[in-house]
Amino acid sequence: MSETVITVGDRHIREVHREIQAAAEQGGHIVLKDARSRHNLGVALPAGANLHFEGSVGYYCGGLNNGATITVERNAGWGVGEAMASGDITVGGYAGMSCGASMLGGVVHVKGDAGPRCGVAMKGGDIIVEGKIGYLSGFMAHAGRIIALGGADDACADSLWGGEVWVAGPIKSLGVDSKAIEPRPDEVASIEELLRSRGINDASRDWKKIVSGEKLWHFESRDANAWLMI
Amino acid sequence: MADDINPGYQYPFDMPSEEAVAFKDGAMEGKPAGVPASYDEGGSTRWSPEAISEVHALAQLGRYQVRGYNSFNKQLPTFDDLTFVPATMTRLPLEGYRENCETKTILGGGSGLVENPLELDIPIYIGSMSFGALSASAKAALGYGASKVGSMTCTGEGGMLEDEREASDTLVYQMTPSRYMLDLDHLRRADGIEIAVGQGAKPGTGGLLLGMKVSKRVADMRSLPEGVDQRSTVRHPDFLGADDMQVKVEELRLATDYKVPIIVKMGATRPRYDVAIAAKAGADIVVVDGAEGGTGASPELLLNHTGIPIMTAIRAAREALDDCGMSGKVSLVAAGGIRSGVDAAKCLALGADAVMIGNAAMMALGCNTPRYAEDYATLGTSPGACHHCHTGLCPVGIATQDAELEKRMDVAAGAERVARYLTAMTMEVSLLAKSCGKSTVHNLEVEDLRALSLEASAFAGVKLAGIDREFSW
Repeated sequence: MSETVITVGDRHIREVHREIQAAAEQGGHIVLKDARSRHNLGVALPAGANLHFEGSVGYYCGGLNNGATITVERNAGWGVGEAMASGDITVGGYAGMSCGASMLGGVVHVKGDAGPRCGVAMKGGDIIVEGKIGYLSGFMAHAGRIIALGGADDACADSLWGGEVWVAGPIKSLGVDSKAIEPRPDEVASIEELLRSRGINDASRDWKKIVSGEKLWHFESRDANAWLMI
Repeated sequence: MADDINPGYQYPFDMPSEEAVAFKDGAMEGKPAGVPASYDEGGSTRWSPEAISEVHALAQLGRYQVRGYNSFNKQLPTFDDLTFVPATMTRLPLEGYRENCETKTILGGGSGLVENPLELDIPIYIGSMSFGALSASAKAALGYGASKVGSMTCTGEGGMLEDEREASDTLVYQMTPSRYMLDLDHLRRADGIEIAVGQGAKPGTGGLLLGMKVSKRVADMRSLPEGVDQRSTVRHPDFLGADDMQVKVEELRLATDYKVPIIVKMGATRPRYDVAIAAKAGADIVVVDGAEGGTGASPELLLNHTGIPIMTAIRAAREALDDCGMSGKVSLVAAGGIRSGVDAAKCLALGADAVMIGNAAMMALGCNTPRYAEDYATLGTSPGACHHCHTGLCPVGIATQDAELEKRMDVAAGAERVARYLTAMTMEVSLLAKSCGKSTVHNLEVEDLRALSLEASAFAGVKLAGIDREFSW
């Protein structure tokens, strides 16, 4: 497979972006050197693109992804994979705040810890964090799964509309209107299968599955007539 | 019914019945407690029927009231406190029926970064109202009506509705904190992207759509369970302050290859600072939405008691852009309770590059029209007084997701009425502009206005009528 090397450096992000997009059109593996934790690297990539960032990246790496496969050698800043429709993003180190925010599909795989609000407002896909997820992870998520192998900080799965937060390890506290339920064996098997497919072979854990308590789905008064007093 | 602040507390007696709490003993026929219409006007100006009924309502509900429509605050200054002073001896008017007055409006072209700025034939467009708040038929009608006159519409919060994309030649895609269905494909199908950081009706709070309007189709478009009371976040999921937003703006530009303008929409609160910060964050267009702005549903107190009137915000916003050298580079749009071409012309004179309408466009579709009297009666209201957008029981099929009610929203007729209304508004703007001697509506200026009240002069920095001096601090 052909390989294109792009050096990020301190060039204007638009120039770098264009080179990445052009290389993605050509196909083949793209290696990005000297990424310097720059923001907005590898956003809006098409299906089939295959990128590797050496070092760390800044905000929104892989944001608005449309099917690309991205690996980041070290850490990612805020919003890695935000609004991704499909694709596969692996972060070798830590991910900052709002990892996979409002993503619709695909996979974000973080090998270290993820910061606060991991999977905030997510609408589909899977976020796998081998370490711990920060506070308010899964806040107002609609659908999809957040899977944390190393525990969760405060207010885990706060105000979920839907979706699932799977945690192995200690959960500092559950968020508003979320409840931990005992997962079925077939559900556990599906999670462990997913993890094995990502090279995590010691996937067998004491899982807690957290879902919406569904109390915040409705104001206390459901009936239209209850809103007619004014 | 209410949330218990202290759930452990027990009275030394039984909980009263809901009937008793609701003042049902000796209740008058057809006059429920908690509704302003049940009370006569007394001698107290402080304890008006509205104030008394509010206490009775809160005492029954144990929560704030929620409704749609817009502010009922009677103290808001109005554009009627301003008048135009057309050309007389110092200036030369244009011939109203012979000479042209340009109405073309370009938004977002000032920075030179954007390949396709928004080019409108008129200085008025239809602002962000979601599919969900409005029916699909209403959204389509607004789109076709706007397209006919070279104007545009905006998706609002609920994602991009195919009916609207098809109808609207120029469509702005709104990116709200909830990001319903937002992905690259939708962004690239938009003619502009609006980052919503707030709205005039309820700045500082997120969207609200009660379960009665979260139909199957609406729920699917928002990836929500059907029928939930949808309360959206107010903070964006992946940025917090203005410095982060600057990175987000850059991301959107890259994703759309610098083709379309980036708009920041905010509720009017501290425009002198907020607008400057939005410009610094890289917005091509800033929309300032005054406290008069409408909404599909909101806690009523926010409608009535938050934000500042658009009349007071425009000059501050313009001065903010002037102060940081961004006038001409960043476009300014004013919104909030604009009723007519006259109001729109006053906004342009105060410094706006364009105006955005919402409730007015709904009225052109048929909101509050005197039809289907029995359905207004079911809501306890009447044509002209209806503010029940939040219930989803809109008698004229606009603010509803009920299939039967929606049939009353005739897309073709609605579109034509919207087109005629926008045409008439534009004629009103250009008539005033010509009388003031302007060959383009964008040359209207503060000098063309005089204030009829001290408040209007003080709020908007407009010279008082006759004395020709601003109210001085």
